[in-house]
Order: sequence, then C-alpha cells, then structure tokens
Amino acid sequence: MRKKRWVPWVLVGPALLIIVLTTIYPLLAALYFSFHKYNLRRPPQFAIQFGENGIQIDWSLLSLNNYTLAFSDSRFINSLQVTFWFTVISVALSVIIGLFIAVVVQKGGRLHTLTKVLLIFPFAVSPALKGYSWRFMLNENYGIYDLLIDQLIVRPINALLSIINALPIVEIPLISESIVWLGDKFWALFMLAMSETWGWAPLIALMFVGALGSIDEQIFEAARIDGANRLQIFFRVTLPLLRPVILIVTMLKTIFSLKMFDQVVTMTGGGPVRATQTINYYIHQIGFVRSLDIGYASAMSYILVVVLTICAALYVSLVLNRD
Amino acid sequence: MTANTIGQNQSSLRLQSLKVLETLALLLIIAFIVLPILWLAITAIKPQEKAYSTTLIFSPTLENFEIIFSDTSVIINEGTDRERGEVGRNMFPSVLNSVVVSGATILIAIPLATLAAYAFSRYSFVGNGVLLVWILTTQFIPAIVVAIPFFTLFRTIEVFGKPLLGTQLGLIIVNMSIVLPYAIWMIKGFVDALPGEIEEAAFVDGCNDFQILFFISLPLIRPGVLVASVFAFIMSWNEFLFALIIGREMRTMQVALMTTSGARGIMWEQMAAAGLVVMIPIFFLAMFIRKNVVDGLTMGAVK
Repeated sequence: MRKKRWVPWVLVGPALLIIVLTTIYPLLAALYFSFHKYNLRRPPQFAIQFGENGIQIDWSLLSLNNYTLAFSDSRFINSLQVTFWFTVISVALSVIIGLFIAVVVQKGGRLHTLTKVLLIFPFAVSPALKGYSWRFMLNENYGIYDLLIDQLIVRPINALLSIINALPIVEIPLISESIVWLGDKFWALFMLAMSETWGWAPLIALMFVGALGSIDEQIFEAARIDGANRLQIFFRVTLPLLRPVILIVTMLKTIFSLKMFDQVVTMTGGGPVRATQTINYYIHQIGFVRSLDIGYASAMSYILVVVLTICAALYVSLVLNRD
Repeated sequence: MTANTIGQNQSSLRLQSLKVLETLALLLIIAFIVLPILWLAITAIKPQEKAYSTTLIFSPTLENFEIIFSDTSVIINEGTDRERGEVGRNMFPSVLNSVVVSGATILIAIPLATLAAYAFSRYSFVGNGVLLVWILTTQFIPAIVVAIPFFTLFRTIEVFGKPLLGTQLGLIIVNMSIVLPYAIWMIKGFVDALPGEIEEAAFVDGCNDFQILFFISLPLIRPGVLVASVFAFIMSWNEFLFALIIGREMRTMQVALMTTSGARGIMWEQMAAAGLVVMIPIFFLAMFIRKNVVDGLTMGAVK
C-alpha cells in the first residue's frame, strides 16, 4: 500500500547493524583467530598488518595447526563423545517425558489444570541455579534425591532381587545403595542430562499440549467408536498427528543440548575425570581457564559452529516446509 | 447377576483403576516438577546446622538471607568455620548488576526490535524473507564463538579509562546478540496477528508511514511488546556464559551464585537463599508470560 522504499530500511537498519556487529563480527574474528597461534599470555602476531605501506599480509603466520591439533587431542575427542551422549540422553528423555506429561495433563479436571500451570515453573530457574540445586540434591550424604532414589527405587529393586536370589536358579548382584551420583562417570552424565530434562520436559510438554489442542477432537472420537483402545489411539492417531511438532521440538532441543555449558560448570565441573566435559566446557577451559589458547579455542568453537549450522539448516527447513 | 451387569462392573472397575493410575501419574509429574524448587526454598530458610541433612524438622529462619546481604558474613561464619568465612560476600551489588544489565538490555533491544519487526511484517522489500531467516539462524550460533572475540576486543577497548571487559556495558553489548533476534521474531508474530485494515484506513485518511506506525500500530501491539520485553529480561537475567566470560568480576547474580563455594565446598544454605533471590522475580515474570512461553522458545515454530 505504501510506496516509500527507504522507510523499511530506516526501521530495520539500527537492529540489523547491531545484529551484524554482535554476530557476524565475532564469527569472522573467531575464524581469523583460529588460523593463528594466539595465546592470551603473549601479544598475538596477526597475518594482516596495517603498516605504513598499507595493508600487508604475512601468509607464514596462517596455518591449520589448531584444527589438526583438535583432531589429535584426545580431550577434544572426549568432549565430542560426551556432548554426543549428553545430547542423545537429554533429547530422548526430554521429548519422551514431555510427551508423557502432555498426554496425561491434556484432558480437563482440576488436578490436570493445576499441573498445566506448574509446567512453567522450571522455566523460571536459570540453568546455573538448576545445576547447583541438582548437585545439592544428589549429594551422597544429605541430598534429598539420593535419599529418595535409595528408598523408592534401589531398595524395592534389591528386595525383589533378594527374593529371586533366594531361588536356587540365578544369582543377580544387588544394586549398591551408596552410589555417589556425581562421582561416577556414567551417572554424572546421566544426572546432568536429567537436570536438563527437568528444565525442558515440562516446556516441551507445553508445546505438545498446544499442538494436541489444535487437533480436532472428532478424530479421537472416531477412533474410539471404531473400537481403538487408549494405547492404539496414542500410537496410531496421536503420535502420527504430532509427528511434525515432535520433529521440530527434537531438532530444537538437539541444538540447545549441543551447546550445553551452564550446568556443567555449576553441577559437575566437567568431572569426574572429564566424563561430563562438553565441547563448550572444554573450549572455555582451554580459552579462559587453563592454557588461555584463544587460537585453539576459536578453532574448536568453529567445529561446533559447523555442527550447529547443519542442525540449524535442518531445523529451518523443517519449520519452513511445515505448511 | 446377568452377564450384562458383570460386563458393566468390569468396565467401570477398569475405568476406575485407569483414573487412579492417571491421578498417580499426575502426582508424580507434580513431584518431579516441584521438588527441586521446593527443596531450594526449604533449604533457604533452614538454619545452617540443619541445611546439611534431609530433615524437615527445623525452626525457619531468615538468617541465610541476612548473611548473603551483609558484609559481616565473614565474621558470622568465622566463629563456626574459618575456611568458610573467607567466601562470604555481600550479594547486593550483584543483584544491582543483574537489574542494570537486564534492564538496559531490554531498553536498547526492544525499541530497535519493535521497529525492525514492524518493517519485516508490513513492508515487502528486497531481502525481507532472507534477512528474517538469517536472523532466525543467528540464535544457533554458540555463545562461546561470540564470547571469544569480544573478550579479546574488550580487553583493549577502554571506556572512561577502564577496559570494557568486566563492565556492565560490555555485557549489555554481547547480550544484544541473543536478545535482539529473539525479540524481533516475537514482536513480528504480534504485528502479523494485527489486521492491516486499520492502517489502510489511516493511510487513506492521509497519515504518512511514521504517523501510522507511532499513532496507530504501536499502541495496538503494546501488549505484545510487553511480553517480548519480559521474555528478553528473563533471557538476560538467566544468561550465564557471557556473564562468566565477559562480565567477570562485575558478577551478575548468576555468577555470584558461584561465590557461595569455598575451600570447604559450597555453603548450601547460602546458595539456596541466593538461588531464591535469583529465581523469585523471574518466577512472577514467567507466570505473567505463561501463555507466550512456547511461542517465545520456538519463535512461533510450534503452533
């Protein structure tokens, strides 16, 4: 309707300028750093020099050393593996538990409505605080989770196992009641993923509740009249209808999980023995805590950028092709 | 009893047991969600000697809040534990830092995002679609990539004779990289939902572009802008990686949580109290934008 061509650019301009400065600039700078030997302890020598004779480029200062170093660094490889498993566990748990919550709370009823309101609660807890609170609750001496897991899960299972063991058929070892959750390599990673799941499953449930609400109730009604039971309705009707939303949510959560950092710092500190050192955490250690090697940190973060770009492309194509 | 009534009894029994199962599932979900928050709240009001146990028998106290907000925390703790005494710090400056950084971030980001969102929604210009998708993808850039170059840059840039590293301004600048793209997408959603007829009518009546924007459209999308502001505030309040690397000694509350840990480990009663201080304002804000959280998190991808 309106003709003035310059108007939108005036409106978009300032925001665009700031986004370019705060995202494109660091992306280019980090790429540039990644080809250099650049440690915070020494003044860096950059390939591009602005001398009296204009711009000079010293090609000998550029190298791929940081990248080749990454793939021969067992700790970086370890962080790739940790991030991979953390992502797999946290995404699977978040989506499955989120789906479970959504299906349970979907219907009316007072308790259902109350639970729906509560779903927003974990959103108010910052990731850093989440890490601390889980660490506190998992403490082997005075943690409430440690107590509950022992009383409600480990003991009943052990009681069952003792009965089975009483029969002279098999001998199954009992589960230890004194597992130090954050001191065990597997459990530390699992609990890190659980803390992430605690934050995300309720939000993902909210997303599914919204999507379920937009499905025509008649479809479920028709399935019920045709004699389908609850499980059949869930697997044959609900799941297929939710498929596009599940895909988008899974992709989005994957992207967030790949960037895991906050809780690693506050909950496990990367330990025990690097078992929870995600890529982001390791980059932070190299760049800002231990060797202060900005060049190497930049190279590793660029490897992360490449992985995330692939995921982001998948995500955007999922979202855009939805209709 | 006829076969018919037996069948009915069985089905009603099954229905009832399903009801019981459903209620149990709901209670389990509620416990799963609430327990960590509840336990934090309980620990925050426990006296120090009871905090390191799972006991629920204690006389509630505000002592822990007093400790984290007083300079005398060193002395109070020295009596019981010398090493612990060293870590006590007044957290009030950190609360202030968080408020200033988050507040300034939205004061800068929201007006700019509103103008941009309006243009993206209402004008078709070269690159409109491409730019929007590009803005969407900037949220997938890992924060660490943004932090590294700004860390080295802010070490050298000085404002008022002080390097930008470890200042509120420095943190506000890097916060833009995450807040602006979000805000643009959120607000664009609200502008899109606004019917264009009112603006058409104003145009026919002779209003120019800016008159329409400021006097017709902006007042109408104000609720949406408010929601986006709250969302942006929560994002920068809860932000940790930038606060740690760029904010540094200027500790925001998220980083100040770490100061409750010392040679003897974390003082959980103080951590819990500080945690509540961090959480409670965001809690109310989150309730306020409850209906928009899903849209905000997914930028409207799930509807």
